[in-house]
Amino acid sequence: MAEAAIERTWRSHGTRRRSTRTLRVRTSGALVALTVLAVLLVPPIVQLDQQAVDLAAKLQPPSWEHPFGTDDVGRDLLLRCVYGLRVSLLVGVAAALTATIVGTAVGALAGALGGWADRAVMRLVDTFSSVPHLLLGIFVVAMFRPGVWPVVVSVALTHWLSTARIVRAEVLSLRARPYIDAAVSGGASRWRVTVRHLLPAVAPQAALAAVLMVPHAMWHESALSFLGLGLPAHTASLGTLIQSARGSLLAGQWWPTLFPGLFIIIPTLALAGLAGAWRERINPRRRSELML
Amino acid sequence: MLELRAITAGYDRRTPVVRDVSLTVEPGEAVGLLGPSGCGKSTLARVAALLHRPDSGTLLLDGAPVRHWRHRAPREVRTAFGVVFQQPRLSADPRLRLDDLIAEPLRATGRREEAPDRVAELAATVGLTPDLLGRRPHEVSDGQLQRACLARALVLRPRLLVCDEMTSMLDASTAAALVAVVEDYRRSTGAGLLAVGHDRTLLRRWCDRTVHWDDIARAGGPNPRV
Amino acid sequence: MTQRPVVLSVRGLSVRFRMPGGRVVAAVTDAHFDVAAGECLALIGESGCGKSVLASALLGLLPANAQTAGEARLGDLDLLTADERTLARTVRGRRIGLVPQSPAAHLTPVRTVRAQLAETVAALTGVRGRDALDTATRAAAARAAFPEDHLDRHPHELSGGLAQRAATALALVGDASLLVADEPTTGLDRDLVDRTVEELRRHVDAPDGTGAPGRALLMITHDLEAAERIADRIAVMYAGRIVELTDADTFFGSPGPRHPYSRGLLQALPDRAFTPIPGMPPELGALPDGCAFAARCAWATDACGAVPELTAAAACATAPVTTGGGLPTAAEALRTGAAPPPAAAVACHHPHMPEDIRA
Repeated sequence: MAEAAIERTWRSHGTRRRSTRTLRVRTSGALVALTVLAVLLVPPIVQLDQQAVDLAAKLQPPSWEHPFGTDDVGRDLLLRCVYGLRVSLLVGVAAALTATIVGTAVGALAGALGGWADRAVMRLVDTFSSVPHLLLGIFVVAMFRPGVWPVVVSVALTHWLSTARIVRAEVLSLRARPYIDAAVSGGASRWRVTVRHLLPAVAPQAALAAVLMVPHAMWHESALSFLGLGLPAHTASLGTLIQSARGSLLAGQWWPTLFPGLFIIIPTLALAGLAGAWRERINPRRRSELML
Repeated sequence: MLELRAITAGYDRRTPVVRDVSLTVEPGEAVGLLGPSGCGKSTLARVAALLHRPDSGTLLLDGAPVRHWRHRAPREVRTAFGVVFQQPRLSADPRLRLDDLIAEPLRATGRREEAPDRVAELAATVGLTPDLLGRRPHEVSDGQLQRACLARALVLRPRLLVCDEMTSMLDASTAAALVAVVEDYRRSTGAGLLAVGHDRTLLRRWCDRTVHWDDIARAGGPNPRV
Repeated sequence: MTQRPVVLSVRGLSVRFRMPGGRVVAAVTDAHFDVAAGECLALIGESGCGKSVLASALLGLLPANAQTAGEARLGDLDLLTADERTLARTVRGRRIGLVPQSPAAHLTPVRTVRAQLAETVAALTGVRGRDALDTATRAAAARAAFPEDHLDRHPHELSGGLAQRAATALALVGDASLLVADEPTTGLDRDLVDRTVEELRRHVDAPDGTGAPGRALLMITHDLEAAERIADRIAVMYAGRIVELTDADTFFGSPGPRHPYSRGLLQALPDRAFTPIPGMPPELGALPDGCAFAARCAWATDACGAVPELTAAAACATAPVTTGGGLPTAAEALRTGAAPPPAAAVACHHPHMPEDIRA
């Protein structure tokens, strides 16, 4: 055995694809980490007032003193962007979590029960989906005083539908697997089958949907705020920043819209990149490649 | 004793795959059901194990008619059957380690404390070594996984075993080993067996009586596509 | 029988997987064999013995954590060192046709058989023009005995047998000299197995009915009955090594196989003793020193502590004809390039001797 091992020269195959994947994951991971660190650490460390008005320095282009420039009342835009990102991220994560929990519960219930319960629930989902998301969101927000929580509720209410569909489809396909038959034959109750066999199987899919939903929810929040319906104007979110800056864009001042815009795009792309890599990982086909 | 009378079943009421099929398994008897693939014999096996509700027909277990299937069937009736399917990969929850897989029916029926002893005993019976018991399905071979699936089917000491193409994915030696385990179990408990398959040689060797699908299904059933 | 040209020649093919934690799984170790035109070699063994990995290695379809050694020559091309571009453009489909394990999953579910065949014909043969393509497509279907009136069906509308024929038709389009069939009969019932096997055999014997030497077929299977019906030669794989290589007639016929594992496999068949080999095969990640089968072997001796080389069947260590000094083993002969692999060989320190030789 030993002498045979010496004379063998081993060749590796197909490593190229993996390295670009690693690069993508690392870049996305670094950007997401940077975002999270920024929103968590910058406010307590810098101790500056993001609301500090300095009318003498209004609408200044980017400079060393104000890297992102200042807005129309002279507030530092970098600071405003970080605070805005903080609010947007909070809304995004809270809404995505709520939507995922509701969607998973409804989808799993529909899929596990089947029959008329399934049909009723899915008709409800269809009804909700038939109303344009933004319209439904506006309707919900309009019922409350402007604030963070109405926006979270509005975004969650419009986004649980897709998760419910994904989870239901997954549960339905899993329910036909012989291992569910085996569990039923082994005396497992409906509850046990759902909790022990079905939910753990859909959990990765649901979690992935949740991560992918965070950017979605952030965009939705921005859209509502841009329309002036989401967060009150004094609360810096990325949406309100762009909304309040749209007048200056016409006057040729690009920085008050560009930087908040980038702050929406970059973290959402990074999150989507991480989620995509994760999806490849949990895709069972990749695992079966390694099987002998 | 298991009696299937005039069973019609399928996934679409207009085109049932099983039409008017009758079959009896006497106490302690081993019946082999032979048929080509796609003829509906697996559906019949699921009906027999109370896993698929037939559109019409009667199923008698020890003379008493069964009226409910799947979760609606009383637990002690459901667990009177042990089932083994063709594809071990699809029959095992990919997240459970093999020892949990085997013990799952005990836990589901509230007999958790019996699990360690029973799993150790059955693992030895089906020939699984302790280090395999700590692995998940994707870390073992098809043959090893099917051994665990058979152990799971035996863990509640069923009165009837339903084996649907249990050995068709396996090599000759593993197939012979699993059949030997089933036969040992039947000899010590007197359990009945319904073995469904397409291998005439295997079923004739294994079972007391072999019936062909064409002989128990009403003529004019769905003709298998060429 | 005339000497047929060798199509695939495998020398010292080894595949190992590097697993997380520095573990190494030796999936295939030191495989030597030839497959000639017009010949079917059946590679048999249980699931997890490494036979599918061997097929993947030949097709260049190994995952990224695999490493290979040795060579696998298809004509002048070494399949193990060829780059992905060469394999994709000139080998798969054109020089090697793959008959897949589950044809229904191999076909694209949303397209008809005709569309898939036509696409493959256009890509591999360069036939252009609607009429010419249509004719070529129908000819391709006819070669695999796929009925013409089923061409416009989708894969899910086909029975297992027809799906298998559709997949075979696709594999045959490129007129490859080597067919690799990976478990083509798994899950099919006996009649379909017989038909599939007969059809594959037909493609091996005379691809165009012209009596030319035909294609070479490497069939990977755990189904001994299918192997018996189709194969000219049998290679038995155990724990990543080919432990016996012999004529199918010898293997299934009266002298029988010589390796204890092969004999055990045959005896496990329901029409023979129907007794299993005790125990289970070792893990490919933790192979024992010496013969991997020794732990399950009733005839194991102290000699089994060393790995037995694949030795030409006539020159066995315990055979009475040994003339002192020891004959070079087949593997040694191969390394020095002295000889092609023997038609029959066994890797065992105490192979079974046919009764007539012993007497």
